[in-house]
Amino acid sequence: MSLPVSSDSPEDLRRWRLPRGRHGLPRELVERSQRERLLAAVVKVTASKGYEATTVGDILGEAGVGRESFYELFDDKLGCMLAAHKILVDDLEQQVRAAYSEGGAWAQRMRRGLATTLGWFAADPDAARFTLVELSTVGPAFRPTFQSEFARAVAVLEGAGGEDAPEPELAQAYSLAAGTILARIYEEIVLDRAAELPRLLPDLTYELLVPFVGEAQARAAADA
Amino acid sequence: MPTSAPDLGAADQRRRIIDAMIDSCAEKTYAATTITDLVARARISRTTFYKQFDDKRACFDAAIGHCIAQLQEVAAAAHAAEDPPDDAVRKATAAVIEALAQRPGLAQLLTGDAIAVDPRVIECYRKATIPALEALWSQSDGAAKAHSDPRLAFGKAQVLILNQIAIGEADRLPELLPEIVYLAVSPFGGHEAALQQAQIAGESTANDVAAGEQR
Repeated sequence: MSLPVSSDSPEDLRRWRLPRGRHGLPRELVERSQRERLLAAVVKVTASKGYEATTVGDILGEAGVGRESFYELFDDKLGCMLAAHKILVDDLEQQVRAAYSEGGAWAQRMRRGLATTLGWFAADPDAARFTLVELSTVGPAFRPTFQSEFARAVAVLEGAGGEDAPEPELAQAYSLAAGTILARIYEEIVLDRAAELPRLLPDLTYELLVPFVGEAQARAAADA
Repeated sequence: MPTSAPDLGAADQRRRIIDAMIDSCAEKTYAATTITDLVARARISRTTFYKQFDDKRACFDAAIGHCIAQLQEVAAAAHAAEDPPDDAVRKATAAVIEALAQRPGLAQLLTGDAIAVDPRVIECYRKATIPALEALWSQSDGAAKAHSDPRLAFGKAQVLILNQIAIGEADRLPELLPEIVYLAVSPFGGHEAALQQAQIAGESTANDVAAGEQR
C-alpha cells in the first residue's frame, strides 16, 4: 500500500486536528486516508489517556481502522506518535515563520511570533498536550526527539533576526529564549490552562526579551 | 509494621536501590525501568525492594528527594555567609552544575524523568530554592524585590539542562553556566547584576577549560 504523502501538509493537518461539530466525525474526515485518521486518533487518545496507557487497539478504535492497515503504515505505537508529532511541529514552525515575515521591528517580530505560538497551543488543547507533555513519556526515543526539536525552536527564534536584531551578551541567548517559552507553555498545559495561554503574551514577551535588551526596553515591548 | 530492631543494612540497601534508580533512569528512562532492573542493579532481592518501597513510583520519589537534598548541600557549602547575594548565587549555581556534570544521571533524573513522571515535581524544586534565594537578598536589601518571576527561572534552567543531557553532552554542562547563573541571579538581582555574574561565571569556566587543557 502506498502512503498518501500529501496528507502530511500542514493544511491537511489543520483540517484533521480541528474538531467539527458534535456528532461524530464529519464525512470528509471519515473519507480521508487511513493514515490521517490514525494520526488524528493517536493525538486524541494520547492526550486523554496518556501515552503509556494508550494501546494500538485504542488508536484503531478511535480511527476506525483495522490492525493490519495500522502495521502497514507504522512500525508501532511510537512510530505513529512520532509521525503525528512531526506534522504538528512542522505546522507550528511554519506559522511562526510566517508571523515573523510580516515585518516590523525585531522586538515586534519576536512578540508576534510568540503570540502565534501561544495561539497555536491554545487553539487545540489535545494537540498541545500531545506535542509538549506526552512526548516526555515515550521512553528513550524522547531524548533525540527533544533535542532535534529544541534545536529547531532555537533556529526559528534566530530566524526572527535581521539587521536590527540585538547582539546578545549571553552566548546562548536564543537557547534561553526557547527555554523560556517552552517551560512556561509546558507548565500551563500541565495545569490544564492551555486555552488561556494568549493572556500570557505581555508577561512572556517581557521574559523573552529581557536577556537581549534589558528591563526597560523589554517592558516597553511587553506593554506595546 | 515491623517491630523488631531495624535491619543494620536497611539504610545501605535503600541507598543502593536509589542509586540503581538514578542509573537506570539515566540509561533507559524511568518509563522503561522495571523493578527487575532495579533489583539486578542494586544486587538485592525483590523482597528487599518491597520492604523498602511500595512500588516503582515510591522508589522514584525517594530518589528525587535524595537528589534535591544532595544538591541543596552542595549549594549551601559553595558560598560564605559574607558573600553578597549575587556572588553567593553564582557560586552555588556553579557548584550545582559541576555536581550535575559529574553525575549526569542526576541531571537526567531531575530535569527529564522527574518532569515526565509528575510535572508537579517542579514545585518541589521551587520550594527547595526560592525561599533560599529570597533569604539571601532580604539579608542584604531588607526585602527581596522580584525583577522577574522566580518561579519561571526553574523551568527555563531545566529546559536548558535537559537539552544538554538529551544531546548526550552532560560533561559539557559547565558551558551553560553563564546562562544558568543569569537565570538564577535575575529574578531578585535584576538583568544588569545577572549579566555581570554570568560574565564572571563565563570567565572562570573558560579558565577551567584552559587549565584542563594544559594538564
